[in-house]
Amino acid sequence: MRLTFERRLSQPWWLSVAVPVGSVVVAFVIAGIVLLATGVEPLPTYRQLFNAGFIQTGALTQTLVSATPLAFTGLAAAAAFRMKLYNIGAEGQMYMGAIFGSAAGLFLGGRISSSATVIFAMVAAGIVGGALWGSIPGVLRAFFRTSEILTSLLLNYVAGLILTYLIFESQSYWRQTKGFNATVFPTGKALPDVAQWPTWTIDVQGGVVIPLGALIAVVVAVLLWLLYSRTRFGFEARVLGDSDRAARYSGVRVRRKILAVMAISGGIAGIGGASQVGDFAHALDGDPNGLQKLGYGYTGIVVAALARYNPFATLLVAFLIGGLENAGNTLQGPGFPAGLVGVLQGIILFCALGGEVLVRHRVRIHRRVPKRAAEAAS
Amino acid sequence: MNNSLLVVLIASGIAYGTPLLFASLGELLAERSGVLNLGVEGMMLVGAVMGFWTVQRVHSNTAVVLFAAIVVAAIIGAVLASIHAFLVITLRASQIVSGLALTIFAGAVGLSSYLGNDLNLADSPASHTFNAVFPQSMQNWPVVGPIVFGQNVLVYASWALVVVIWLYLSRTRPGLNVRAVGESPAAADSMGINVTRYRYAHTLLGGALAGIAGATVTLAITPQWVDGITGGAGWIAIALVIFAFWRPELCLVGAYFFGALQALAPQLQARDIHLGPTVLWTNALPYVMTIVVLVVVSSGTARSRLGAPAALGNAYVREER
Amino acid sequence: MRRSRVALVLLAAAGVLALAFASATMGGTAKKGATPFKAAVILVGPHNDGGWSQAHYDGMQYVQKQLGSKVQFTYKENIAVGAQFNQTVAGLAAQGYKMIWATSYGMVTKQLAAKYPNIIFEQATGTDLSKNLGEYFGAGEDTIFLSGMAAGAASKTGKLGYVVAFPIPEVIRHANAFTLGAQLTHPGATVRLIWTNSWFDPAKEKKAAQGLVAAGADALGQNVDSPATGQYAESKSIPWVGYDSNSMTFAPKSWLTAAVYNWGLYMLKETKLAMAGKWKSEFYYGNMNDGFTSLAPYGPGVSAATKAKIASYAQKIKSGSFYEFTGPLYDQSGKLRVKAGVKMQVLQGGTNSLYGMNWLVKGVIGSAKG
Repeated sequence: MRLTFERRLSQPWWLSVAVPVGSVVVAFVIAGIVLLATGVEPLPTYRQLFNAGFIQTGALTQTLVSATPLAFTGLAAAAAFRMKLYNIGAEGQMYMGAIFGSAAGLFLGGRISSSATVIFAMVAAGIVGGALWGSIPGVLRAFFRTSEILTSLLLNYVAGLILTYLIFESQSYWRQTKGFNATVFPTGKALPDVAQWPTWTIDVQGGVVIPLGALIAVVVAVLLWLLYSRTRFGFEARVLGDSDRAARYSGVRVRRKILAVMAISGGIAGIGGASQVGDFAHALDGDPNGLQKLGYGYTGIVVAALARYNPFATLLVAFLIGGLENAGNTLQGPGFPAGLVGVLQGIILFCALGGEVLVRHRVRIHRRVPKRAAEAAS
Repeated sequence: MNNSLLVVLIASGIAYGTPLLFASLGELLAERSGVLNLGVEGMMLVGAVMGFWTVQRVHSNTAVVLFAAIVVAAIIGAVLASIHAFLVITLRASQIVSGLALTIFAGAVGLSSYLGNDLNLADSPASHTFNAVFPQSMQNWPVVGPIVFGQNVLVYASWALVVVIWLYLSRTRPGLNVRAVGESPAAADSMGINVTRYRYAHTLLGGALAGIAGATVTLAITPQWVDGITGGAGWIAIALVIFAFWRPELCLVGAYFFGALQALAPQLQARDIHLGPTVLWTNALPYVMTIVVLVVVSSGTARSRLGAPAALGNAYVREER
Repeated sequence: MRRSRVALVLLAAAGVLALAFASATMGGTAKKGATPFKAAVILVGPHNDGGWSQAHYDGMQYVQKQLGSKVQFTYKENIAVGAQFNQTVAGLAAQGYKMIWATSYGMVTKQLAAKYPNIIFEQATGTDLSKNLGEYFGAGEDTIFLSGMAAGAASKTGKLGYVVAFPIPEVIRHANAFTLGAQLTHPGATVRLIWTNSWFDPAKEKKAAQGLVAAGADALGQNVDSPATGQYAESKSIPWVGYDSNSMTFAPKSWLTAAVYNWGLYMLKETKLAMAGKWKSEFYYGNMNDGFTSLAPYGPGVSAATKAKIASYAQKIKSGSFYEFTGPLYDQSGKLRVKAGVKMQVLQGGTNSLYGMNWLVKGVIGSAKG
């Protein structure tokens, strides 16, 4: 039996939805088998997962806490990956966005009384921080042809070290130096009240709190979609993604495009970092047991891949994966070891990759033709 | 003299660089056939945990147990690599995303952690470890003592492996074939070389070596199990392959260089050598150095990246059949 | 082609239906009988790390065993400080947990405690207090001091090494206590520090141990959580003092002893109070007298004379006639920091308080800034 793959000429729209959904279903089935093999009942577990992630009181609020950073890192990954620029550095770009954003909040917060201005400045600073950090692999790729995969990844470690250094190993501007607590354990300086990002509460399920970051993520998704589908920049970037030789021949400034896309991707991740400071932590979190343990940057890549790099799908998938992360914390315990979340995410990703093939190719199964008939035919 | 900074760094560099060497040699083989496998960290971790498990659960004499552990680690590495191989070779999925998925699946918060937890491996030290082979008297010889004679059998095996792979790639027919597959799969195919088979074989081999690299960590370097014990070594190994221009002998040099870099920070602290915010920059140094070296390697040799298999370029694997 | 398309859709639909049907029919089992008191322990690392988190896990097991079916404990591991901790608490609150033990600094903030007024929070190593938030830690420095005595006695050259994580007061005072103990049994002893920048990183700790030995240390101690230092010490036949747990199995010949925290006793006391509705918020600082901290069993390398001396000092500390952090105490530059006869306090005294100590005593080699 042989399989051949023929590229489809056109991809029916419903297939690009059915396949990711189908692959998630298959993934849960496979994961269910894994769970069974280790003595955990899959169906009650999944019900609990769903419950803890979306249904029970307060679940949606907590899911948004995970979904917001994932939306940003997911959009960052989508923005770059779609152009075949593999920015693995969203994690570090997010840290840089947090550093720059909290600096803006601390500096302006004491001087300006308009909350909107301060918050706007924080977002802008976050973009700048993330974009700068993302430009490093961008420059190295554009001008020195160095693989952005490795450079952006290695810079994640460097960014993490800088973040820890600012709070744990130096008396930096970001560090809380007054007060007794500050001497006991290193903490970030608390942001003044004007720098706290607002939230909106919907009266559902006991009150769902929607952070400003979530709304900004939606705006970013719209802007990203517009950029890539309605502007010349986006068109040229897509040409570049498909074939960089074609792009060069058609006059696209390849190097600038690469740099621009990496900077945009980094900037989006940077807003995620600013959101971490403004929405949730209200101080710069340099604790190695804190933000750096969560791996939002890497999970964002999973989100983007599942969403097939479409900005709006990215938002949806970020929400779903955010629910999975949130529920994972709740489910975790003696019966449900921590490692299962990564296993589940990996299986989902594998199935999505496999399903991707079905979207792009038509699979034909050939039964082995008897030898004599084949010879007669040739 | 044997405690001088240079001797200690070289000896440590060899010891800590051995997992990097095994993993990068494996990745080199896969990449030579045209397959980029970013899942090295994941494969290393699962090799580490299963090798450790073998040592804890199999009761026999030390040599047998350790050998079995290496075999188990190699097998499990190859099994994981086969997932990646199936997805990218047969199903032509994105090599980048598949490799990342493998790292997430098997990595520090994935399968390796799950296995370590489920098999209760974290509480005790390894029952058998790879220790130095030569007697203490030889280890005390000036300079060559700690550097050459103070190492364990895995280190010596890695040296042999470098030679074997070098011979394979440059002097044997299959080795030349795999290079053809990596340079131009279409041309290789027309010469009658089974591209699929070569890619599968080398990707699985790469996985096996990554598994062995992981076992080196839990059986020779830090003989215990904790989540994520390899600490990002898999990524450095991937960078190493590029740094080494896809040549096994340069993988050795690079692996030991990075191994020494990792040992540098505490050694400097111990000798009261303070250079600014020591902790920050000496921890960051290995990563920054890797980036610098990558840049030099990628650009310095201008247009064509010397040694990179052409089919492992920017447009990954797209054979037109 | 039609067939494969249809088959695909059917497969996906069937999968979704099956899942939905199955989960709908699996109802939750209703529990009958007296509802046990639900308490949770939240660990920052793995429950079997052989160090800090494991000690808390052991404490939890102890309480569960003592109180049996009256209490239902669960634990969460690898929970990051910050948003993940908040999510975990929210989930536990929704599941009806009434008491939460947070085992790493910074986990519970006053704001978080205020959000859940019906839950009792106990935070380890912190300082914030509120109506439903209590703090607990203890005089690890006392037992670390004693373990330092063992290390000093075991050292021949008087050059010791101590592997440390971050330059914060908690670690600094522990390093100081270790040094003072070593200097008691080995006058003039020096202790060299190497900072690993991580609470738990076996590879870094081993490299630090190598660095210390290369610099001449012939006895090792640590204030980090993995036994990697001990494994290296064993390979070099160098005596070793551990931390947090009894890790003798990792280095049977090198093991001397370790300061360990017996979280279980305090946890039992407070859990009982919470169950009876009599819990009150307090800043608890345990010591050897109430069993909060003690020494792990000795290894083969501790002489009888040393054991006797340690026992006698332990008795003196317990009775109050001796305290290791009593002046005169000099810092590394030789300056007198604590006057003769003055005892350092836990919270009062600024940089001369235990919680505020940011200077190293004379005899420590290394920087207090990392």
